[in-house]
Amino acid sequence: MPIGALAHSFGLESLAATELLQASGLSSFLREILLEAGLVEAVFFRRSYCLAAPQQGAFSPDRWLELNDLLSARKPARESRNGSVSLGQNFLNAVATLGNFPILREALRTSKDSAGLIHHSTAFGLASGALGLDEDRAVLSFLHQSATSLISACQRLMPLGQTEATHILWNLKPAMIETAERSAACALDDACSFLPLPDWGAMEHPSLLTRLFVS
Amino acid sequence: MAHATATKREPISAPAEFLRIEASLDLHFTRTATGQTILAASRQEPPLKVVRSFSLADGAALVHLHNVSGGLLGGDQLTLRAQIGERASVQITTTGATRIYRPRREAAPASQTNEIEVGANALLEYLPDAIIPYAGSRFSQRTSIRLAPAAGLFWWEILVPGREARGEIFAYECLDLKLDIVANARPIAAERARLEPRSRAMNSLARLGPYRTWATFYICRVGVEAKAWLALEDELRSLARELAPPGEALWSVSTLVAHGLAIRCLARSSRDVLRGLHALWRAAKNRLYNREAVPPRKVY
Repeated sequence: MPIGALAHSFGLESLAATELLQASGLSSFLREILLEAGLVEAVFFRRSYCLAAPQQGAFSPDRWLELNDLLSARKPARESRNGSVSLGQNFLNAVATLGNFPILREALRTSKDSAGLIHHSTAFGLASGALGLDEDRAVLSFLHQSATSLISACQRLMPLGQTEATHILWNLKPAMIETAERSAACALDDACSFLPLPDWGAMEHPSLLTRLFVS
Repeated sequence: MAHATATKREPISAPAEFLRIEASLDLHFTRTATGQTILAASRQEPPLKVVRSFSLADGAALVHLHNVSGGLLGGDQLTLRAQIGERASVQITTTGATRIYRPRREAAPASQTNEIEVGANALLEYLPDAIIPYAGSRFSQRTSIRLAPAAGLFWWEILVPGREARGEIFAYECLDLKLDIVANARPIAAERARLEPRSRAMNSLARLGPYRTWATFYICRVGVEAKAWLALEDELRSLARELAPPGEALWSVSTLVAHGLAIRCLARSSRDVLRGLHALWRAAKNRLYNREAVPPRKVY
């Protein structure tokens, strides 16, 4: 869905600007990102999915706010955090207009009334649950979309052609599957991510003199 | 000041002669009518110890955390609880680096739990030395910080790759680091990091790349407006650029979702890190409190 994902590099632009990140190392770099940051997002995705899944009972506004608050706390980089929120808000607004989804409307209203933020992974998860999509496939879809967006950003940041980009995306599929599978049994508290250089890139993005991306 | 001297020593399942230590250090600080912060009460279980608190010129209290066993051994479960009372001002530092020793094979990871409460209008400056994980060590740390209205916090952690002089670089087995900062009952910062160098290489570009030392620094003051944090973010980022020669260290500064900002550092040498943290701390404390940041009195 056109929600503005192409406007965000989530800090990759900073790493490319310092030439730390280059096309030759991109495949292994993105694999690591998926296995760690991707795991965190996938776990939050699944928790949000459960809020909307019909078999879970009534939607809990408090739990919805709490999940998004927790994820905000996990994102110290201001622009990347705002980017996630922008995508999440756009996504949920767009899906809510596609049909009659009371849970999505309530989630939007709850967040607005409490000045709460809505992140991309939680929005995607909630919408997937509300639409009755298969949870595992929906997580994979989210991870695939996230990886595609990052590769697309890299195509604009470094000499990365279409063929190589396609190969990278294809070769990331095992990592997506592994991440999705691990997220199924992972507690929120145990969803770990240690990515200091990408975090640096995300936190320092506002200081770039010329920028292609919002984050 | 109350003291408890009992140390719980409990056997684990096997072997029978192998003991672990569970010990805690409870510190309660209050502000007197004359404006001085004092260590009003403490409960100390070896190996954790605070000898005494020192009064600082601005009325704050300074304490040095001692681990009389020299470091953390496999199976040790240590807890630090600190309550900073309303309007109190406290500096906590260490007497040296926190050493995480190689455990016996059967031992559980060494663990440290920090439970911190900063009262209304109070200030805590937690300024420890680095954590040095020895080869083969396993360690978990859980930090939980609650900030009341108008509470302030300067909290840093420095992680070096090991005993570098002995060639131990990322030779530890596992570090599990968790941190939560909550202000006005809402989370504002959270970390969940698991470092396993054997399975996830630290020199990966997704982790430390060419750098070896990692530091994280939280600066918070509940109730300060978002635009003030953005201004401080800019100021500290400009300062950070001057801290290290190009290629030696990377500093980053970013505002949290509310009430504070986070600073991260990746450095080739740990020497650059402490110097940089002090500079950023001085600038931030001057901006937030219009007060001087006085480094704790100790050997550096």
